[in-house]
Formats: sequence, C-alpha cells, structure tokens
Amino acid sequence: MIERLVHWSRVKSPWVLHLNAGGGCNGCDIEILAALMPRFDLERFGVLLKATPRHADVMICTGAVTLQNRDRVLRVYEQVPEPKFVVAAGACAMAGCVYRGAYHSLFGIDQVIPVNAYVPGCPFRPTALMDAVVKLLNSVK
Amino acid sequence: MEFKVSLGPQHPALHEALSLRMTLEGEIIRDADLKLGYSHRGIEKLAEERTFTQNIYLTERICGICSHSHTTCFVQGVEQLMELIPARRGLYIRTLIAELERVHSHLLWLGVAGQEAGFESFFMYTWRDREVVMDILDWITGNRVHYAMNTFGGVRRDIDELQKKKILDSLDLLTKRTEYYLSIGANEPTFVNRLAGVGKLSREDAIALCAVGPTLRASGVPMDVRKDDPYAVYNEIPFEVCTADSCDVLGRTVVRVKELIQSYKMIEFLLKNLPDGPFKVKAPRKVKPNEVYSRYEAPRGENVHYIKSNGSDKPERLKVRAPTLANYPATIKMLKNGFIADIPLIFAAIDPCICCAERLVQLDNPGSGESKVLSFSQLRTMANDHYKKVNLMKKEAVWPF
Amino acid sequence: MNSEAIFEKINGEIKDKILEAAIAAPRRISVKVERGQLLSVLAYLKDQLQFTHLATISGVDLGENFEVIYHLSNDTTTILLRILTPRAEPKIPSVCQVIPGAILYERELQDMFGLLVENIPDPRRLLLCDDWPQGQYPLRKDWKFDRPAEIIPGGK
Repeated sequence: MIERLVHWSRVKSPWVLHLNAGGGCNGCDIEILAALMPRFDLERFGVLLKATPRHADVMICTGAVTLQNRDRVLRVYEQVPEPKFVVAAGACAMAGCVYRGAYHSLFGIDQVIPVNAYVPGCPFRPTALMDAVVKLLNSVK
Repeated sequence: MEFKVSLGPQHPALHEALSLRMTLEGEIIRDADLKLGYSHRGIEKLAEERTFTQNIYLTERICGICSHSHTTCFVQGVEQLMELIPARRGLYIRTLIAELERVHSHLLWLGVAGQEAGFESFFMYTWRDREVVMDILDWITGNRVHYAMNTFGGVRRDIDELQKKKILDSLDLLTKRTEYYLSIGANEPTFVNRLAGVGKLSREDAIALCAVGPTLRASGVPMDVRKDDPYAVYNEIPFEVCTADSCDVLGRTVVRVKELIQSYKMIEFLLKNLPDGPFKVKAPRKVKPNEVYSRYEAPRGENVHYIKSNGSDKPERLKVRAPTLANYPATIKMLKNGFIADIPLIFAAIDPCICCAERLVQLDNPGSGESKVLSFSQLRTMANDHYKKVNLMKKEAVWPF
Repeated sequence: MNSEAIFEKINGEIKDKILEAAIAAPRRISVKVERGQLLSVLAYLKDQLQFTHLATISGVDLGENFEVIYHLSNDTTTILLRILTPRAEPKIPSVCQVIPGAILYERELQDMFGLLVENIPDPRRLLLCDDWPQGQYPLRKDWKFDRPAEIIPGGK
C-alpha cells in the first residue's frame, strides 16, 4: 500500500538532478534552465530541480564526458538512490556530437553509466525535454 | 579552520567544472587558486582534421551562449585569408544577429546576477523577456541556439519585410521592459547596495592583468573591439562605448545595462538601413598559405582567433582564446581580501561563459585543520544570510540612471 | 598613433633589436625577434607605445622549430610578435614580469607543446586531466593517440 503511494508520487512528481558531465558547450544546460522559466514552466507538472543527488529520482545529464570528469560522474551516479533513471539529453551526451574523436573527451554518457532515455538535438528544445520525461515515466507505470 | 569545499559537478543552474581553492582567515579570503581542465575538449586539435566549412560548425559549439561570436570571428578571419569581400547585405545581417545575441546574453546575465544576489523574481522576469529575443532568433535562423547563419561570403538566409517589422515591434517591448528594470535599480536600494563595493578591481590591475569586456570597462578603461578595430559594419553604425567608474560588481551591471540600450538602438539602425542586393557571394574552396588574426567583441569580452592556412582545404593551426579565460587572473585578484559571502557574486560578475565555471570551492585555513564541504547553493544561501544581517542602507551607492 | 606611424617608430628606434618587421594587413604589424631580445622589445612596446593588452600567446609547430607568437594590442593596432625556438631545445623566457596577465597562456603552452617556460611563477598543469601521461603533448604535429573503441550498449 505504501509502496503504491511512493511509486505514484515518484511517477507524478519526479525530482530531477541536473548534471553537467563536462565537455559540452552548455547550450543544453541553458535550455534545461529555460524549461523551468515562466514560459515553459516544468514546475507546474511537479518536476522539481534539486541540487543534491541524494534527493533525486531522475538524473538529466548533458555534455560529452571529459577524461577529467569521468570519475566524478560515476560518483554522482552512485549517490542517487534506487530506483533511478538517467536521461542523456542532447547530442553530446548521446554520442559526443561534434567532439567525436577529441583526445580529452569520451563519446557519450553511456560509456560511463547506463542510460534510460535519449533526447536528441543540438540543443534540444525545452519542450522536447518535457516530452522525454513524460515518456520515461509512462514507461515506468 | 581548514575549509575544504568540494562541489560535485551538479548545480541547479548550468555550469561546468572549475575548481577553486582558497586560503581563509576567518571569513576573509587570503589567497585563491584555480584548477581548469574539466571542460577541455581538444577543439584545436580537431580543427586541424576538418575542412574550413566543417570548422564553422565546430567553432560554433565552443560555447552555447556566444556561439555566433565564435563563428563570425572564424569566418571573417578565413574571408581575409581567401581575400574575399563578403556581400554588404550579408554583413548587415551578420551584425544584426550579433547584436541580438548580445541582447539575449546580457538579459541572461541580469537574471543570473539577480539569482546570485538573492533576487529570484528578477531572474524570472528577465528570462521571460529573453524568450522574446529567442523567438526572433528562432524565426530568422531556424534554431534558438547555434544559429549557423554564417558562411564564407555572407549569410545563409535572408530576412524579409515581415520579419523586419516583427523585430522592430519586439524592440519596443524590450525597451519598455529594460526601462522598467532600470527603475527597479533606482527604487530598490538594497539590491544596489548588495552589489556595490564587491569585487573591486582597480584600473591599473585591470590593465596589467589583461582583463577584457565589461569587467575591464567597469574599471573605467574604454577598450572595445567594435571601436578600436572595427569588423563587419561597425564602422558605419553610430554607438558609444559604455564604461563605469566604480570598479566593482555594480559597475559591471551598469555597463551591461547601458550596452543593452545601445544594442537596441543599433538593431534599429541596422534594420532601417539594410541595403539591397545579394546576401552571399561564392567562396573558393582552397586557401592560400597565410595567417590571420581575427578579433570580435563577444558579450563577455574580446574573442580572438588566430588561423594559419597551408594551401589545402584544412587549416594548419587554429588558436582560440575565449573571453572568460582572459578574466581569470583578474578574478583571482578580486577574490583576495574579500569575504566568502561574495564569491558567488564575484564569479557571476565576470559572466563566466559556463564553459568555464563550476564552483569547486576549496577553502583552506592554515590555522586549525577543519575540513568543510559546501555546495554552491549552500554557499549562496550562506552569502545571502550573511547579507541579511548587514545593514545595507548604510552604504552610499548611487544608481546612475 | 595609427599603424603606419607605429611601424615607422619601430623601424626607427629599435631596429637593432628586431630581425624583421612588416605590415601584414590593415591594423596588423608582424615583428620577428630573437629569443634573447624578447623581454626588452616587449618592455619597449608596453612602455613607449602603450601596447599593454596581451590577448593571447599562440604556439605553432613548424617542424624543425616551434614558433611562439605574442598578440599585443593597443587602441589602434595589433602587433604579432614572434620568436622561434628549436625543437631539440624548446625553451622560452617568461614574460610575467612585464605583463602579469600572461601566466595562464604560458601554462597552456607548457601543457600543449611541451615548451619549457623559464622563470614561470606557477608551473602547474592547466588544462589536461590529472592522470594524463607525462611527455604527451597534444598539439605537436607528430602526436597520435589511440582512442579505445566506442561501446554501444545493447548493440553489436
């Protein structure tokens, strides 16, 4: 009974951690922030942006991982409590975007941690991010 | 007490990783130190393996906010290497997008400054207005960020009469909103006093440490690439270089707001005087061996590209220096003898192009040996609590509008 | 002073310290100097001609030599001040006493090209990651690297 309540609240109001994994241009990060601004306003759907991994349900990652940041990304991933979902947002986090072949960055975030959803775009529109989170939660139900 | 503040790479707002170590004495920072490398991607090496045209799209993604500044700097450098004169209408459209980008970047910064100072509703207001500019850019170029408008010889798309009219109407709206924000500054002395006296950088230090952009202009130095070394059509547009004399974060805010107003006037001039004709000319594929040094005034400061060609269709060497890197030594100077509570504002004031500032704040006090880990939002909360106790009405800061 | 006047002054006053000077493009002057004369020419340009702004320091791998270019600006002109240093013995003097803002650019040169900057106030690594192997300098032309292949999760 409590289980169902917890599951329902997790699906209806996911708390989100935004992780910038290093080697991206940060255009996607600004679009994530724009998704929380009065125009697109994710917060009216119950999505809350948290600063700490210990409180998060969904982790949104942007940026192509750099060698310097690899261990830190792993550490943050391990700190998020189960059940957790990872969204690789943007072409950099999916496959490295323009930086494929660079000596200091790996390809995408799925080289380091397992990913549940991919959002394409360079950068993606804020509405595409909302669509991805909704689809992810529907698949969990 | 030794404070080691270790911030994981997450932050409620953007930001990449920059590690900052500071030595404390009580609440005052005695020494500060930087660690970069979290966002190093090796773009200069990648650029040597791609053709010039592919490099336009690579340089665009050096930064997400000032992407047009990097492509324009690159494209105008290569046009000099090719000895190609670009189309006049294309140059006007290029400059128009450059000024629109400056507007959206300064509005973004005003929001971030408001957030760091504890003024959340200001943050929301400016970002809502920024959406007006994003819509214009979306309509003209096809994307909200990374416009990909530049090509060798001009631009890739044209502007028609309906778009021109829409931009002029939006300018009226934006001018009204910006004047409203000016009046906020005049009516909210706590906001102004929160920014005054923080992060002082004297004129001599700013010149010696080679600072650029509004950080330099807020210390009274009228150095602006658009006036000193005009590129595109800046030698035909009437505008003024905006400076301030207070050498602190308040001065930097004032410089950026003045630049916003200048940009609105420039956009209006550009639209009213847009010449007819083709918007691009054909460019050669191979480039003679030569070198060029191209400068551009990005919203954050002077952006510099040094390009060397070797006769093939790939560059021999591309060197990029983004403006925030030039402001780092000045930031270290500003942090010394300041309070911990001022760290968020000082960092926000140089307008870190996110490609350069996650805050790993590591505070060492060699006196005792305690270790404390603070996240950046904790640091910001600490800063705002500290300032609640300070009587901000005692300071004598003047809002000059 | 516009760039022609500056060019005349350079050719007149410090002709014995420079190897070659030329006007490369409008508002750009290219000056070639011996490694040993760098600091004195830089001090002259900064004090007498107000070239106080050092935009960046570029390194170029020319094969037998490394070319190091200092980009200095004042309110009308930019000077590209270049020195050559041989590949077998890549050492350059530090300019931080004359222009304190040059520190980060010199650290970057050390990382990327393996140039040794003498008397640098702060010789730590700037850009590459902590476990980057020593002796690997990415921007040299003869540097190659092997990236391990990409793992595609759930695929071949």
